[in-house]
Amino acid sequence: MTELRMFLVQTRMNFIWYFRRDGEMVFWTLAMPVFFLVLFSFAFSSGPNSGSSGFLVPGIIGAQVLSSGFWGVGVMLATFREKHLLRRVYITPMPPWVFFASLVTYRMALLATQAVILIAVGALVFHVHVIGRPWEILAVLLLGTATFVSLGTIVGAVARTTESANNIASVLTVPLAFLSDAYIPIDRFPHAVSSALRLLPSTQFIDTLRDVAIYGVPLAHYGAWMALLALWTVAGTLISARTFRWL
Amino acid sequence: MVAGLVKAFGSVVAVDGIDFAVQPGTIFGLLGRNGAGKTTTLECCIGLGKPTAGSIRVLGLDPTKSRDLAALRPKIGAQLQATSLPEKANAGEVLELYAAYYGIPPRTQEMAERVGLADKLDRQIAQMSGGEQQRLALALALQHDPDVLFLDEPSAGMDAFGRRIMWSEVERLRDAGKTIVLTTHYIEEAERLCDRICVMQRGRIVADASPAELVAQFGGDAGVSIAADGFTPDAALEALGTWTRTGSQWKLATRGEPGLALAAIVTHANALGAKIVSLDLHRPTLEDAFVALTGETILEVAQ
Repeated sequence: MTELRMFLVQTRMNFIWYFRRDGEMVFWTLAMPVFFLVLFSFAFSSGPNSGSSGFLVPGIIGAQVLSSGFWGVGVMLATFREKHLLRRVYITPMPPWVFFASLVTYRMALLATQAVILIAVGALVFHVHVIGRPWEILAVLLLGTATFVSLGTIVGAVARTTESANNIASVLTVPLAFLSDAYIPIDRFPHAVSSALRLLPSTQFIDTLRDVAIYGVPLAHYGAWMALLALWTVAGTLISARTFRWL
Repeated sequence: MVAGLVKAFGSVVAVDGIDFAVQPGTIFGLLGRNGAGKTTTLECCIGLGKPTAGSIRVLGLDPTKSRDLAALRPKIGAQLQATSLPEKANAGEVLELYAAYYGIPPRTQEMAERVGLADKLDRQIAQMSGGEQQRLALALALQHDPDVLFLDEPSAGMDAFGRRIMWSEVERLRDAGKTIVLTTHYIEEAERLCDRICVMQRGRIVADASPAELVAQFGGDAGVSIAADGFTPDAALEALGTWTRTGSQWKLATRGEPGLALAAIVTHANALGAKIVSLDLHRPTLEDAFVALTGETILEVAQ
C-alpha cells in the first residue's frame, strides 16, 4: 500500500516536472518525429500511394521507442546520478522498483502521445490506415518499450557521466534507427546484410510493429521474435540490476 | 558507534582508523577543516560509502549490510552536502513526495513553517537561493521524525536566519530525545550545539570531549592585559599566574578565574593611582583549543 502510494506520487511528480513544466523538451520530443515523417515521406515518395508513409509511421514510432530507452531512460539516469539526485533518494526507504517504474510510466506516456500524433498525422496527411488489432499493436509497443528501456538502463548504469551516456546513446540509437528498418527499408541492402540486420532486436521489433499495425498481420506470426524480445528484456533487466549504481 | 573506521579512495586515505560512540539523545559533532574526513565518515554511517575497514553500527544496525540498511533508512534522516533535487520541482511537491517515500501523511505546511518556507512552497528549486534549498533539505530530513538525524555541514551556505532556524530545530529534536550527528567547520556552531565533539584532522580524531572539556584541557590559559601608566603587579597579583610585559602593556596568563584576576588588577591599579589606558579579558575558546590541538586555524587562510 505504502509502495503503491510512493509509485503514484512519484509518477504524478514526474508528469508535473518533466512534462508540464518542461514545455520546450516536450515540444521537441513531439515535433521531431512528425518532422521526420513529413521530410522522409516527401524524400522517398514517388507518388501519393507509394506506401512510404505507411512504412514510415511505424518505423518512426519504433525509432522513438529506441531513443526513449537509450536517451530518455539511460541518459536521464546518468544525469540524475551526476547531479547527485540519486544519492538523495538512495538514503530514503523508497525501493528501486518505484523509481524505475515511475520513470518508465512517464516515458511510456510520452511515447504514447508521440504514437497518437504520428498515427493521426499519417492518417490525415498521408492516408496511412492502421488496420491492425489495437491490443496487438499495444502489446508489441509495450514489449518493445520494455526491451529498450531495460537495455537503456544498462547505458545509465555503465556510463560514468552524462556526457559518456550521451555518446553511448548516440552511437546506439542513430545507426540502429537506420539499420533496423525504421527510416530506410533494409530490403534495399544486399540480401546477406538485410538477413543479418533482421537478427537485431530493434529490426524484429519495428518489423513486427509495422506488419501488425499497417498490414494487419496477426501477431501470432511473430511469436518467435516476441519471445526473443522478451529474452532481451529479461537479460537487460538482469544486467541493469547487477550493474546499476546509485552513487 | 564507529570502530576502527578506515575509508580510502584509491590511494587517498580519507578516514584513517577512527573510533567514536554517540550517546542517544545528544548532539554529536565532527569538527574539522574541509578535507578532514568528516563527510566521508558521516556518509559511511548512512550507507553512502563502504568502509575500507572497520565497523559501524547505527541503532544497532550495520549500514554496510543491505538488509540492515533497509531497516535503518526509515529511522534516519539526513541533510547531505553533495546533493540536489529536481530543478523543476517546487518545495511543496518535494515535501509531499518525501512524505510518500516514508509512508507518512504529508506535513507540507507544518514543515514549511518550521523552516521558514511557508510563503515559498510553490517556488521551483531552480529559483530558490542556496540558503532556501538548505532549509528545504533540512525539512526533508526532519519530516518523518527520524530517531537519528545526520547533518553534513548544515549551515554551509545559510544566512544568519537559516542558521538560527536550523539550530533551534536541532535542539528541539535533541530535547525530544532524538540523536543528532553533525559535521561542521564552524567553531561557533559546534560550541553552541554539540554535547560532544570529535575534532578531526587528516582522517584522524585528535580529541573527543565536550566543548567545555576541550576548552579546559586544550584552550590554554585565560588572559588579562592592562595598559596603565605606572602600573606594576604586586606580590598578590604575581601569585595569580605568569606576567609578561611589552612596553606599558602588562599581560597575565592565568589558570584561575580571569574575572576575579581582573577585579584585583583594577583595584591594585587604582590604589597605585595608575591611569588605565586599556583593559582586556580573554577567556580560552574552542577556537584556541582547536588551534592547540591541530596546529592550524579552522578556516584556511586565503593565499
